[in-house]
Amino acid sequence: MLIFLVRRGIGLIVSTFLVITITFLLMQLIPGDPASVMLGANATPEQIEVLRETWGLNQPVFVQFFHYLSNFMRGDFGESLFHHEPVLGIISQRAETSVWLGFCALLVVLTIGIPAGVLAAIRPNGMTDNVMLVVALAGASIPSFWLGLMLMTLFAGRLGWLPSSGFTSILETGNLANLRNMILPGFSLGFVNAALVARTTRSSMLDVLQADYITTARAKGLRGRIVLMKHAFRNASIPIVTVISFTFASLVSGAVVTENVFALPGIGSLIVQSVLKRDYPVIQGIMFVVAVLYVLVNFVTDLSYAMLDPRIRYR
Amino acid sequence: MIEPHLHELDVNVDERTRRFRHVVAELWRFATRRTMTTVALVILLSLLFIAAAGPLITPFGADELSMSERLQAPNPTHLLGTDQFGRDILSRALSGTRITLLLGISISGFALLVGLPLGMLAGFFDRFGLVVMRVVDAIMAFPAIILALALMAILGKPGITNVILAVGLVWAPRMIRVVYSATLTLRESVFVEAARALGVGTTRILLRHIAVNLISPVIVQVTFTFAFSIMEVAALNFLGVGIPPHVASWGGMMNEGRMYIIRAPWIILFPGTFLALAVLSFNLVGDALRDRLDPKLRRVM
Repeated sequence: MLIFLVRRGIGLIVSTFLVITITFLLMQLIPGDPASVMLGANATPEQIEVLRETWGLNQPVFVQFFHYLSNFMRGDFGESLFHHEPVLGIISQRAETSVWLGFCALLVVLTIGIPAGVLAAIRPNGMTDNVMLVVALAGASIPSFWLGLMLMTLFAGRLGWLPSSGFTSILETGNLANLRNMILPGFSLGFVNAALVARTTRSSMLDVLQADYITTARAKGLRGRIVLMKHAFRNASIPIVTVISFTFASLVSGAVVTENVFALPGIGSLIVQSVLKRDYPVIQGIMFVVAVLYVLVNFVTDLSYAMLDPRIRYR
Repeated sequence: MIEPHLHELDVNVDERTRRFRHVVAELWRFATRRTMTTVALVILLSLLFIAAAGPLITPFGADELSMSERLQAPNPTHLLGTDQFGRDILSRALSGTRITLLLGISISGFALLVGLPLGMLAGFFDRFGLVVMRVVDAIMAFPAIILALALMAILGKPGITNVILAVGLVWAPRMIRVVYSATLTLRESVFVEAARALGVGTTRILLRHIAVNLISPVIVQVTFTFAFSIMEVAALNFLGVGIPPHVASWGGMMNEGRMYIIRAPWIILFPGTFLALAVLSFNLVGDALRDRLDPKLRRVM
């Protein structure tokens, strides 16, 4: 297990390095001089020169990259061009909303996706299976922002049951009732992704249910539910874990749009505002944070494989 | 002594016609086999027709303003209602079809042009593959919309070319990955070994033996790229960073309708339905093609 951990750990470092390199290279693609682009049209030549000096833009690209790398390692992502605050601070202020949204969406994914998949696998091509196939196909084809807007019209507009937009911090106010604002966004984001998890759970369960040890377990008279949960589900869980970790990327993508629909002050709406204002340091910071999170999620996924299936450790 | 054998490997003309007939028969069976696939193909063909016919079939001009008729619910004159400027929703949604399909084709074409050669070379030459796949993995660490948004910011103004580039660059690595893994398997296959033993050069192996066998996985991946990319383009337009707002697009219409969502939900309902139908039909056709062409590659959806 230790060797496994070390090997994966090295992979983690390499991936993070590559992610930083790519954000660096992308920012080199900005047409024109980065300093004047970043300072905007009203900058004086002196200001540009000062910024070029601070950023070391007069130095070779290789040296620039080294500075960039060491700044990132120290958590210094630069300053926002509009708020004139450190990027990391701005991102962390927005983090709470996004974490709550992700949490609620994941809850929906797990509580709908997995049971739906297991149910569908019990009787393949049965009534439940076919209904779920149609729902899953619809879920995979409906844009989450459209679903969000439609739910908003119905539940916030027509029925007036739930708040339509906005979110205030739970950590600051200590008011858990604010989670009401997350019901609609969490559902519209989660539902779309639950479809994929349901389909994976189904096919993975079907594979396992054909195995000999399931027949054995049934033959020795174990009750259906125990066979299903203890023998089948655990062995079917590896592909499911993979899909849940894939879901991370698609949840982040979806969250960008969903936060926008429901006017949630999270990282997703921050990146859209920053793109509209061409606030490059913030965009760069968000790209880095999200990609590193993704790499970490993959790392944790690998570890959980090793825990679910001891054979994997020795490969 | 080797030469005559090589000639036998080439397919003669009769064989080609026979094969062509076979393909046509296969396509027909494919289209009629399952109801869902048939429905998807019908939707797809109608969308193609709508895109081709363009302004010829829209009841009103897509940009025709009529302030006296603003925010009308669906009615006999305006079948799907009107928006805040009195523009006909049906006409706008229909005219958005052309731009959506054009963008989808350009983006999947871009991903294909980048992904096919790079993926093949990466799969065939180990050292090159190691470098390319590392970069591909790192690019894929950025969730699709985040990367597309950043690229839109870097490329500058909203515009059709920039959208194609931004979304294309997001999907090209995914295409590389599919081509790469298929090439890896093909490279080890017996017929490639046989060709090499006969003294066939690397270029010829890549073009005549590998590329031909990549057709099925690539077609399947192209349909999925298409479905995902039109969804992503719609998201960019919805966020106001895609194509310029004056061009009627499904995402853009939904963005404009947000202010009036309680009073006039139809502004958003119908463009979204068009989008969902388009994505659904491409996904279904992709699924069916995959099952047909390559049963081993069955995905979970």
